[in-house]
Parts: sequence; structure tokens; C-alpha cells
Amino acid sequence: AADKINLIPQDFFAELCEQIIQHLNHKIPGVNTAELCQRIQTSGIELNVGDLSKIANIVSFLFSTAARNHLSTEELITTLGNAVSALPKHAVQVIRHVWNEQGKSISESEDAGNMATVGQFVDLKWKLGVAMSSDACRSLKYPYVMVTLTVADPSGQITDKSFEMTIPQFKNFFRQFKEMAAVLETV
Amino acid sequence: MAAPEQAPPPPEGSKPLSALLNGIAQAAYYGNADITEELLHGQLYPEAAPEEFRALRAKMSGLLQSIASADMDLNQLEAFLTAQTKKQGGITAEQAAALAKFWKHHRAKIHESLVSRSRRGSVLRSLSWRVDLKAQARHLEQLHTPVAIVEMELGKDGQGPELLCLELDEAKLSQVLRRLSEVEESMALLTQAS
Repeated sequence: AADKINLIPQDFFAELCEQIIQHLNHKIPGVNTAELCQRIQTSGIELNVGDLSKIANIVSFLFSTAARNHLSTEELITTLGNAVSALPKHAVQVIRHVWNEQGKSISESEDAGNMATVGQFVDLKWKLGVAMSSDACRSLKYPYVMVTLTVADPSGQITDKSFEMTIPQFKNFFRQFKEMAAVLETV
Repeated sequence: MAAPEQAPPPPEGSKPLSALLNGIAQAAYYGNADITEELLHGQLYPEAAPEEFRALRAKMSGLLQSIASADMDLNQLEAFLTAQTKKQGGITAEQAAALAKFWKHHRAKIHESLVSRSRRGSVLRSLSWRVDLKAQARHLEQLHTPVAIVEMELGKDGQGPELLCLELDEAKLSQVLRRLSEVEESMALLTQAS
């Protein structure tokens, strides 16, 4: 996937690196690779989300390693040269620039091993539907709630998870969250 | 070799037809692949010739399918069965009674089975949660911030479970509650309209 970096135009690559650094600085919950990939594809570049995610992981690993070792910009570039061969010149420029500007702040606010396997909740979207009919049953008349959770996983990737609930399930779901809120308040 | 599965024995005093309907439902709606035509024939109508039994089973299956597909209520059912008794090559009054009795008892369960068959995508299998106090934090003011840790098990037919584990602070939780209230409001409007 590293060679796919060649495909990404400079401004998109800069945006990716910006998001990665901001995520490492805990300013944003994660990197929205799906959304960025969509825009890259719209501009005519053939790149899939899987490849972009891999590239994001590589860059993220690079930056966080550099932060842990308190690397200067020049040291980072040298390490880069050793780790990733034949990086396009514009990519190196972007990395140099982003690290110069914001690399230090990662070093300062270093999180001593955020070993969470827990994701961060970002957003909840919902849909209320009634399934009217299907091949198995002409008269279904089955109401359901579809929920889409936007989650930033521990590595910083933002993904959507969707699932369906029956009405009784939804009521229980809602009740549980109300209970959580009540407990949270008393703690 | 395991013993072949028994068809549900006909309850005392009832006709083999009730048991047949039960057997048909087991195979068609409750996912019990062991209840085969041969089994039902042998257990319930051993004296009947194979083609005769096959025809009976097909007719009952077809009727049950129509009833289940339309999720008939009692009125619809009565009208439907009455029509069936009147037509050429239809059913007897006794058979109509057996069907009516069967549907009354099994309607909800069969409908539920058809509903779950129509679900696409993941469903929520279970949800559990706990509230933690953040013991470590980057910024001092975050210490002793309570967070909810929620674990959800999602599942899709034929696939293994997917575990989703999320952390929500008070603000995020409020956001969730707001959204879920929106759903509830919509639901109320829907039931009002229907």
C-alpha cells in the first residue's frame, strides 16, 4: 500500500497528515478515511478505502513513533527514508511541513500508552421504518428502528456500524441509556 | 447413528391433521429440517397411499402459506376458510376447524419467524454497560470524569457476533438521549397516524 501514496495528490495527502496529527493530539476523535477517500475518488483518482486506511496507519505509526522518540524534523525524514523507500517528493515535503508545525505538540501531550480497546462514540443516526411486505410474507407490517453509530476506533479510524432493532428492543435500548445517564449524574 | 426425529405426537383425542399442521409449521417456519414428508406420512397417516398423503400435505401447506403470508386476523381467516369449504376440491368443515384452531395458536410465532427472515443487515443481540471513573487523564480537570462504557453485540444471520465497545462521557450520552428521543417522537406520530 505504501506505493499507493504516489496516487494521492499533495493537497489530499496534506489533509490526511493534518487529520492524523490532530488525532494524535486528541483534537479530533479520528481520521475520516471513508469521507476523504470519497473526495479523492471524485477527483478521478482510483484509490480504495482499504489502501487509504493502510496508508493512514503507516503515517500514524510514523508520527507516534517519532513523538515517543522525540525526533527532530531531520531525524524523522531520515527515519522515513529508511522505512519507506521511494516516497514521492511531495509526500516527504508534506510530512516535513506537518511535523515542523505540529510534531512538537504531540511530544508534549503524550498519552502514556492509550491501550484502550474501546472506541469513542462520535454520532448516532437513526431511521424508523415499517417493513410492509417481503418475498416470505406479503403482510409483514413490521416496524423497526435502524441505528447507525459513528465510532472512532482505537487506531483513530472512523467507521459506521448499523444495526436494526424491533420496537421493544429499541425501548429497552433507550431505557438502558437513560439508566446510564442517571448513574453518571450520581457518580 | 442417532435415532430419527419423532414428529410431535398428536395430543390426546385430536386428529392427525393438527399434528400434520404442526409438522408443516416446524419445517416451513421454525427451521426444523428433520421433519420430513416421509416422517409425517409414516407417523400420522400410515394407511394413506403416498400420492394421497402428498396431495393432502401440499394442500395444507398451501393454505397455511396463504394464511401466514396475509397474516390473517380472525375475520379474514373465517372468510377465507369458508370460501375454501365451498369450492370444488376444497376442504371439509372439519379441516377448516383444524386450520382455524392451529392458526389461532401459532399466528404470533409464525409471524415472528417470517419477520426475522425478512431482516437484512445486523441486529442488536445484546447490550451491557458500566460506568467508570477515569483514573488517568491528560488534563487535570478530566480526572474523576465519569464515563459510560457500553458493549454491544451485533449479529448477522450466518455470521459470527461482532462486538462493539464504546466510551461515552456525559455530553456524548446527552447527545445519544436526544437522538433516541427523536425516534420516540417519530414513533408516537406513527402510531397516531395508523
